[in-house]
Amino acid sequence: MKILGISAHYHDSAAALVVDGLPVAAVQEERLSRKKNDAAFPLEAIEWCLRAGNVTPEELDWVVFYEKPMLKFERIVTTILREFPASWRAFPKAMKNTLGEKLWIKGVITSHLGVPGSKILFTEHHQSHAAMAFLTAPTRRAAIMTADGVGEWATLSVGRGEVKDDGTTTIEVLREVRFPHSLGMLYSTFTAFLGFEVNEGEYKVMGLASYGSPRFVDDVRKVIARTDDGAFALDMRYFDYHKTSERSFSAAFVDLFGPPRKPHSPLDPTTESGRRYADIAASAQRVLEDTLVDLAKDLRRETGLADLCFGGGVALNGCANARILRESGFERLFVPSAPGDAGCALGAALFVDRVHLGRKHREIPHHPYWGPVVEPGELSRVAAEDGMPCETLSTDDAALDRVVDALAAGKIVGWMDGAAELGPRALGNRSILAAPHTAAMRDRLNKEIKYREEFRPFAPAVPIEVADEYFDLPPGGAPLGAFMSGVFPVREKWRDRLAAVTHVDGTARVQTVERDKAPRFYELLKRYGRRTGIPVLLNTSFNLAGEPIVTRAVEGYTTFRRCGIDVLAVGRHIVTKPAPGTKNAVEEQ
Amino acid sequence: MDELRHAHMFRARGREILAALPQAADEGAAFQAHAFAPGERGLDDLVVEAESDDSLLAFLHLSEKAAAQRFAMYREVLGFDEATQGVFTQILRDEAFHMNYTYAQLRRVSPKKHGLALWWARLGRLWKGYLRLASAIANVMSTVILTAQYFLVLPLFALFAKAAARRLPRGWTPARSASPLGSQY
Repeated sequence: MKILGISAHYHDSAAALVVDGLPVAAVQEERLSRKKNDAAFPLEAIEWCLRAGNVTPEELDWVVFYEKPMLKFERIVTTILREFPASWRAFPKAMKNTLGEKLWIKGVITSHLGVPGSKILFTEHHQSHAAMAFLTAPTRRAAIMTADGVGEWATLSVGRGEVKDDGTTTIEVLREVRFPHSLGMLYSTFTAFLGFEVNEGEYKVMGLASYGSPRFVDDVRKVIARTDDGAFALDMRYFDYHKTSERSFSAAFVDLFGPPRKPHSPLDPTTESGRRYADIAASAQRVLEDTLVDLAKDLRRETGLADLCFGGGVALNGCANARILRESGFERLFVPSAPGDAGCALGAALFVDRVHLGRKHREIPHHPYWGPVVEPGELSRVAAEDGMPCETLSTDDAALDRVVDALAAGKIVGWMDGAAELGPRALGNRSILAAPHTAAMRDRLNKEIKYREEFRPFAPAVPIEVADEYFDLPPGGAPLGAFMSGVFPVREKWRDRLAAVTHVDGTARVQTVERDKAPRFYELLKRYGRRTGIPVLLNTSFNLAGEPIVTRAVEGYTTFRRCGIDVLAVGRHIVTKPAPGTKNAVEEQ
Repeated sequence: MDELRHAHMFRARGREILAALPQAADEGAAFQAHAFAPGERGLDDLVVEAESDDSLLAFLHLSEKAAAQRFAMYREVLGFDEATQGVFTQILRDEAFHMNYTYAQLRRVSPKKHGLALWWARLGRLWKGYLRLASAIANVMSTVILTAQYFLVLPLFALFAKAAARRLPRGWTPARSASPLGSQY
């Protein structure tokens, strides 16, 4: 049984191939098209998945799209009608945006793949999120919560999933909160208000929140009220996103919180205006966390289950995840590596396999490495063309030792290994690595490589069995850290020696690395630990600001050449940047 | 490398200009001539692998030339802003080098047919220009027609929708009953 899952047309489109119940390939379109957050129909991702699975389009049994386009269209039209006449600007845009391609996705799939319409299925958006969260988690019974900006109508749903003893699977959605009331849209509105790009800058809000105190919590609670039944409702007077695509907050929002921050203007949380924005970010973050914790507590009481699977874009909020784990009563919390729309491609395909077709459960390896595999030899070729010497070490041990030498000497290493990760985070296969010990390293990475705001933290990676020694992990915290899904305190005594990865509030977004999931990366951490006494590395995604994470060695190489990375390691092939002022062979010519 | 450096220079100067503007000035920046600018809409996508060396170099040469001409024009009209003019002067130097370099490479790769390659590239640019213009006109026309429809057709339906919205419960809604997966509703 070969099932192709597709997500597209909002942000971050992707494709995934499931063969006989197991994922064999999944990748975001941006990783191949090299356009950040590429939302186009993921033709390159589909082609790659089919190639990787050695499957032709004719051999596909089903093609699944991750949401129901007509239902979504109904929501768009209904919202425009409800807001008449204020929605007059939104109407032409929405119609052109939807009627061009999005509404005819069945025809688009048919024309691109040549599969008959009868083979094309449509799951609901939050069904896809729920399936991704539950079916890829190492659990057989769990409560499920999904939260994002909006799918068709639902913005948040709760339910439960179960793999029965006979191997059949059920995913039951109990209830949902509907648009325009949305935690994702609430957070995105604050993202826009704080001058960051929506659907991209939410991490920045979370990072900025640590610099502030939540003194605007009462004001935030004016814009989001709790309802008697335990859910929430936004006061839509403060929002405009349901009326226009041009701004998400209204004049009343500005009256409440003051003038919004201008995009691109410098943001320094130590200044008075910077502190105000940090306080607003902290307040929004606090209210989001409180709301999610309460919802999770209710769900725990209702289901009595020990595990919670959390999906949707909101599940990328590591601070909220950590509080859910600590306070909701759930013993374990699972967040997939791609809880956002990209993961829906895989979720939709798995939903069809397990729930729609009722096929027997198969344990899915709990790792994120479903993307294209890097070809180490490509690095030698590209470096030779560019006149840069590329060393090919004779053994893997020698290569690992060489990388450890560089890291211990304070070098910044671009590290590419095996299959690319599915999801927004680099988890050791497409990473920039560095020693985590000094704040100077963090500043260097921000200035010379990532070109990003100074208030944004970097994440540490640590072998799972020693994670608790360096980080204050609650029960269930280590598994949550597998995909960097939780933010936890760095233990007091290590904060000075882990300064590059310790955020201003003493926390870190920890990645716990297991030997069987990422053997080379794990081994690198162990060797670094033996060399320096601390088996922790700074791990940040291998990309520059505004670019997708690198996929192929040639992309790694061009990124390496354009920024301050000192060493590039792809398998046993290693390129080291010459000292400043030294020209390579091509430049000399 | 040069393009990255140019991006940094533009960003730095852009920040300086934005910082000097009053808050309200952001709203005035709403008009952006995206419809006429090259790139980003699929009309100008260049599949490098699908191009021969000479056609690719001809394309690059003309693009660099166009950029150099445009930057020269910007530099001329920015007499009142020496700092920004300085940015364009620096970038223009690079663009002129790129223009000459790509032309030299084109002549090297295709010593006899480089003129033909350049004419083909010019025709390609003309065609893409036409597509941009046509798409901009279509965009304006469709906006006008849809806006007219909005005010002529939708008001009655809007009344019903508003009345229905008032009856909606706040908070939780029972999950809708599962529809068949073959359905798009």
